[in-house]
Amino acid sequence: MTAVDEPQSYSGTRKGEPDKTIEEVWAQPTGLRWWSSVSHRVVGKRFIYTGFAFFIIAGFLALLVRTQLIVPGNTFLDNETYNQVFTMHGTLMMFLFAIPILEGFAVYLIPMMLGARDLIFPRLEQFGYYCYLFGGIIVLSSFLFDAAPDGGWFMYVPLTTNAFTPGVSADFWLIGITFAEIASVTAAVELIVAILCARAPGMSLTKMPIFAWYILITAFMIAIGFPPLIIGSILLEANRLLGLPFFDPTVGGDPLLWQHLFWLFGHPEVYIIFLPAAGMVATILPTFVGKPLFGYGFVVAAVISMGFISFGLWAHHMFTTGLPILSLSLFSAASTMVAVPTGVQIFAFIATLAQGRPRMTTPMLFVMGFLFIFVLGGLTGVMLASVPFNWQAHDSYFVVAHLHYVLIGGMVFPLFAAFYYWAPHITGRMMSERLGKWVFWLMFIGFNATFFLMHVTGLRGMPRRIATYPEGIGWDRLNLLSTLGSYILAAGVALFIFDFIRHLRHGERAGRDPWRAGTMEWLYPTVAIGFNFHAIPPVETREPLWNNPNMLGKNAEDVEGVMRKMHDGRRETIGCDPVSGSPVQIVRLPHPTFTPMFTAFALAVAFAATIASAYFVAIAGIVAGLLGFTIWAWEPSDSGVTRDAGMGYVLPVNMIEKRSHMHIATVGTMLVLYALLGSLIFALLYLWNVYPNFAAQTAQPNLLWTGLSMLAGLVLLILAMINRRVAVADRIGLATVMNLAVILASIACTACLALAIQRTDPWGTALGATMWATLGFVALNLFITLYWALFNAARKVTGRVGAGQSLPDFNLATYAKGTAVMVLITGGLFLAATLGGLS
Amino acid sequence: MTALGRQVWGLTIPAVAWAAHFIAIYALISAACAPRGLIDIPLMFGLGIVATVLFGIAALWPTIRPPKGAALTGAVRVGGLIFAVAILFDVLPLIFSSGCGG
Repeated sequence: MTAVDEPQSYSGTRKGEPDKTIEEVWAQPTGLRWWSSVSHRVVGKRFIYTGFAFFIIAGFLALLVRTQLIVPGNTFLDNETYNQVFTMHGTLMMFLFAIPILEGFAVYLIPMMLGARDLIFPRLEQFGYYCYLFGGIIVLSSFLFDAAPDGGWFMYVPLTTNAFTPGVSADFWLIGITFAEIASVTAAVELIVAILCARAPGMSLTKMPIFAWYILITAFMIAIGFPPLIIGSILLEANRLLGLPFFDPTVGGDPLLWQHLFWLFGHPEVYIIFLPAAGMVATILPTFVGKPLFGYGFVVAAVISMGFISFGLWAHHMFTTGLPILSLSLFSAASTMVAVPTGVQIFAFIATLAQGRPRMTTPMLFVMGFLFIFVLGGLTGVMLASVPFNWQAHDSYFVVAHLHYVLIGGMVFPLFAAFYYWAPHITGRMMSERLGKWVFWLMFIGFNATFFLMHVTGLRGMPRRIATYPEGIGWDRLNLLSTLGSYILAAGVALFIFDFIRHLRHGERAGRDPWRAGTMEWLYPTVAIGFNFHAIPPVETREPLWNNPNMLGKNAEDVEGVMRKMHDGRRETIGCDPVSGSPVQIVRLPHPTFTPMFTAFALAVAFAATIASAYFVAIAGIVAGLLGFTIWAWEPSDSGVTRDAGMGYVLPVNMIEKRSHMHIATVGTMLVLYALLGSLIFALLYLWNVYPNFAAQTAQPNLLWTGLSMLAGLVLLILAMINRRVAVADRIGLATVMNLAVILASIACTACLALAIQRTDPWGTALGATMWATLGFVALNLFITLYWALFNAARKVTGRVGAGQSLPDFNLATYAKGTAVMVLITGGLFLAATLGGLS
Repeated sequence: MTALGRQVWGLTIPAVAWAAHFIAIYALISAACAPRGLIDIPLMFGLGIVATVLFGIAALWPTIRPPKGAALTGAVRVGGLIFAVAILFDVLPLIFSSGCGG
C-alpha cells in the first residue's frame, strides 16, 4: 500500500474529503459565503477592483484641483476644501490605489506564473484585503464628518499636531492609513514566501519569470520601507492623543524627525510603485516582440540594486530643511546613482524591442507610452538630485510635473497595459483594440498637455498647494492648458471604463493564450477553474509555453505534473526549496472561512473607535481581534504525514525545518519587526545626537534593572534555542514545560526593562518619550511571544498536538529568539545611556 | 552549497556591503556635523576611507571572481559593479568637501 492509499494515517490531522473531486474541493463559495473566499484569484481581483475605485475617486479629486486652478482668482473651491481635496488626492493615489492594485495583480498572477495552485497563506491574503478595505473606508469616511485630512499627503508636523490641526482630521489619516498599511505588509510577507517556497518543480531562481523577481524585490522593500512610516504615524498619533512630545522642539523633539521617518518610507515608496509596473512591462514586451527579455541577468541585478539604493535617497526631499551640506551631497550622490540601475532596465527593454518586429497592440502602445514618459520623468529626477537646482525648484510645480511623469509614466501607463493584457485572463473576453487605441492617445496627449506644461509653470515660480493665484504673472495660460489637458486625460480613463463594461458582454471570446505569451498563467483557457493546475508541470525554461510544446499541445488538465494522483480531498500545493525550486514538501491550504474577515473587522472597530475617543470600544475590538487570531490558528495540525506526489516525489506535509514556508514567513515577519525597531532606534539616536542639552535632562536608566533586563533577554534567547531542539526532537511534554519557561522569561524581560526606565519622564523630553516608545514596542513583541507560547502549551495540554506536529514550537523558537535579541539591543542602548550618560 | 546558491550570495553580498557603507558614511557625517559633534572632520574622513576600502572590496569581489556554474553569472558581475560604483559615489562628498559646510 502506498502513502497515496493511506488517508487514515493522518495523525491528529483533518481528514479531508477524499470522496470529492479536485474541482469540488477547490469550488468557490457562492451567495453570501462568497465573502469568505480565500482564493488568490478572488482576493487578487478584489484588490484590483477596489484599487481602481480609489483611483477613480482620487482622479475626480484631481479634476477638482485642476478646475480650481483653471483661471486666476477662482472661487470654485474655498481654501480649506482645496487643502482637503489635494491632500486626499495624494493620499488615495499613493496609499489606497498604487500599491494595493499592484499587489492585487501580484496576488492574482504570481501563483499561476510560478506553478502553484494558490497563494501560500490564503487566509492572510483575505485578512490583508479586508484591512485595506476597512482602512480605506475609514479614511474616506472623513468626508462624511467634514473632517477630511488637509495637511498634505505627507502630513508634516507641526502643521498636523493638535496645536495647528485640532479635531480629528489628522487622526483619520494616521489611523486609517496605518490600518490599510497592514494589508501592504501582510501581502509583502505572503508574496516573499509564495515566491520563495511555492514554485513548480525545477523552477530555480534563474528560471523564474522576471515578474516574480520584480515582485520579490518589491515585497522586501515593502517589508523594510513601510515600518518607518508606521512608527512615525504611531508617534504622531501618540503625540496627538497623549501629548507625548516626539516632535516638540521646546523639549528636545524635532519636526524633522517626522520628515526623516516619512521619507525613509516615502522615497522607497516611489520604487515600490515603479518596480511591479516595470515587471509588467518586462512581461508584456517579450510577448509582443516574440522574443525573450534581453539581458535577464542584467535586469535581475538592476532590480536588486535599485531595491537597495532607493533606501539611500530619502533626504533629497529635505534639501531645503537646513541639513549639513555634506549630508546633502551624500544624498545627491546616491540620488544620481539610482539612475544607473534604472537605465540598465530601460536599455534592456529597448534591446528587447530591437530583437524583433513588435505587434503594436493596445498593451504595447501603453508600454511605449511608459518608455517615453518615464524616461522624461527620470531625467528631471536627475536634475532634482542636484542640490542647487533642487533649491530653486523645491515645492514648485516643476516637482509636481516630475513626480507625475515618474508615477503616471512609471506606473499608470504600465498598469493600463496590464489591464488590456490580462483582462482576457480575468473576464474571458478581449477588450476592444480600436477603443483601446483611443484610450491610449487620449491619455497620452492629455497627460503630456497637463504635466509637461507644469515644468514651465514651476520654472516660472508657481508654488505647489496654493489654492489660487493672481493674474498676469505668466501662469494663467499654462494653468488653463494644464486643466484642459487633465480633462482629456480623464476622458481617456472614462473611455477605458466604458470599454471594460462593454467588453464584459460584447467582447470577443479570448480563447487560450490569446496573446501567444510564454508564461504559465496562460496555460489554461481564460476564466479557468477555481484553482490553477490539476497537475503542476515541471518547468525547465523561463517561457515554458514557448519552449515546451506539450503544454499548449494538449488540454491543460492533461498536462503531466506532480500531484495529479493525490486525492486527499484537501486544498494543497507543492512547496519547494527557495533556491533550486526542487519540491521539498506538500503545503496544505485552508478552505474558505470568515475568520480573517471577522478579525480585520474587529481591528477596524478598534481603530475607528480610537478616532472617536471611544476607548472601551477600542479595547473590545482589540480583544475580539485577538480572539479572531486565536480561532484562526486553533486548528488541527497537518504535519506528521508523508504523501506520494507522483513523478518520484514522496514528500512530507508541512515539513518542520528552516525551509518550511511557515518558518520563512516567521523570518519575514521578523524582518518587518526589526525594521520597526530600527526606526525607533533611528529616532532615539537622532534626538540624542541633535539635542544634547535635552538629552542631558533625560533621567538615565537604572543600571541594576538594565543589567537584569539583559540577563533576562539572554535567558529568553537560550530558552528559545532549547525550545527549537525540543521541537525537533518531538518531545511534547518537555516542549510544554519550555513554553511555560518562555512565558516566564518574557514577563521578566518586560518587567526589568520597564523598571530600568521608571524614572524617565515620557512627557519631560522627546528622548524620554522615545525610550518609552521603544520599550512599548519590545514589550508588545514579548506579549506576542508570551501569548504564542501560552497558545502552544494549551494546544498540547488539550491533546491537539500529535507526534511530528511541532511546527508551531519550531516557529515560536525563531520568534522568541528574535524578540530576545530585541531585548538585548534595547538593554544595550539603555546600558550605554547609563554608563556613558545621556549628556 | 550549490553553484546557484553561491551565485545568490554573490548577488547579496555587494548589496549588503553597499547598505553597510551607506549607513557608515551617513553615521559618520551625523557624528561629525550634528550639534553633539562626536568626532572631528579628519577622523570622519579617515574612517570613511577605511569603510570605503573594506566595503568596496566586498562589493567588487563577486565581480572579479564570480561564482560560476549557474545562469546568474552576468547578474553577479553587473550587480557587484553597480554597487561598487555606488559606494564610490557615496564617499565622494567626503573627499571633495573640507567640512560640514553649514
